[in-house]
Amino acid sequence: MTAKKQNKILLLGFPGNGLIGTFTISYLISHLQMRLVGDISHPDLPPTVFVENGEILSPIRIYRKDNIYAIISDVPIFPEVAVEFVSSVAQFCKKNQIGKVIVPSGVDTQSTNSKDAKTYGLATHQSFEKIMYDKELPKFLAGSIIGTDATVITVFRNYGIPLLMLYTSCHPFFPDPQAAIFAITSLAKVINITVDTKDIQKRVDYLRIQHRNLMQETLDALQEKPAPSKVPPIYR
Amino acid sequence: MMDSEFYPVFWFGDDLEQKILAPLSCIREHESKWVLEFDLPLVDKKDIAVFVDSDAITIEAKLRETYCDEHRKSYQYEYFKKSLSLPKNADYNKITAKFLDSRLTITLPKITQGKKIKLD
Repeated sequence: MTAKKQNKILLLGFPGNGLIGTFTISYLISHLQMRLVGDISHPDLPPTVFVENGEILSPIRIYRKDNIYAIISDVPIFPEVAVEFVSSVAQFCKKNQIGKVIVPSGVDTQSTNSKDAKTYGLATHQSFEKIMYDKELPKFLAGSIIGTDATVITVFRNYGIPLLMLYTSCHPFFPDPQAAIFAITSLAKVINITVDTKDIQKRVDYLRIQHRNLMQETLDALQEKPAPSKVPPIYR
Repeated sequence: MMDSEFYPVFWFGDDLEQKILAPLSCIREHESKWVLEFDLPLVDKKDIAVFVDSDAITIEAKLRETYCDEHRKSYQYEYFKKSLSLPKNADYNKITAKFLDSRLTITLPKITQGKKIKLD
């Protein structure tokens, strides 16, 4: 592994438990003022584009700032396309000599008190084990991981690309931006940047309301339900 | 009642005309109880009402401030409201509710039925 490859990092975020990945990577992209450099599409994903400030955006986008890349998906990654999607991300890493991947995600907790939130690390490589030790990040010791997270871990292990999953305890079925603040702080420690989460803290309630649809679509995708009869997106 | 096989029913959820948002909800089954949760951000405990009848539970809550859709500022909402069917084996006389971190948690104990069998 060359020194150049070792420096490049990919942050990957997609809808999951508590939408932790979505909130965390979305914040980092905005905070670091990352530049949009590309997007990912797949014929089996529901056809969707977003319009923001008059600009047409694909739901899965690639950003970059210096040696940090970020891929964020605003749509759930359905199980049927998860392997292809994650494999394409792994190939992107190989092509761009990205040496490390970090994925923030949420883990169900029995505690209903947001003050009990914690972030745990699950590393597939020694290099991340050392970072976790240096940053005093507790290890994710036991549990079952299913869905797109499991696909991410399996595919990146097969490609030999070091991966760190950052699991923050959260409510799994409701958007949990409060827990995402812990995830952002932990991720910032790992990649050695400073963050200011006061703005998110003020907007927690609004973020929970805004992301209801995405949370419901994510739960439907995780349960592999057939698409419900909803108002076609064009009317939303 | 509309037969969804012949008349496709599109679920809109929020009611813009009445300024009502549909909150997220989930239900978890445990051995002795059901736990029903509603996500109610921007709500104070005193502004929540919970109604139960024979087969449904209804939640109504007033937002402490008007919520405007981020992209469509003219879309304004002031309430949460949702009705859900209750499980058939819930003991309605022992339902409890609590509100913490803007989440309403309703616990429905299960009714223990049947004749007790004596062990030899």
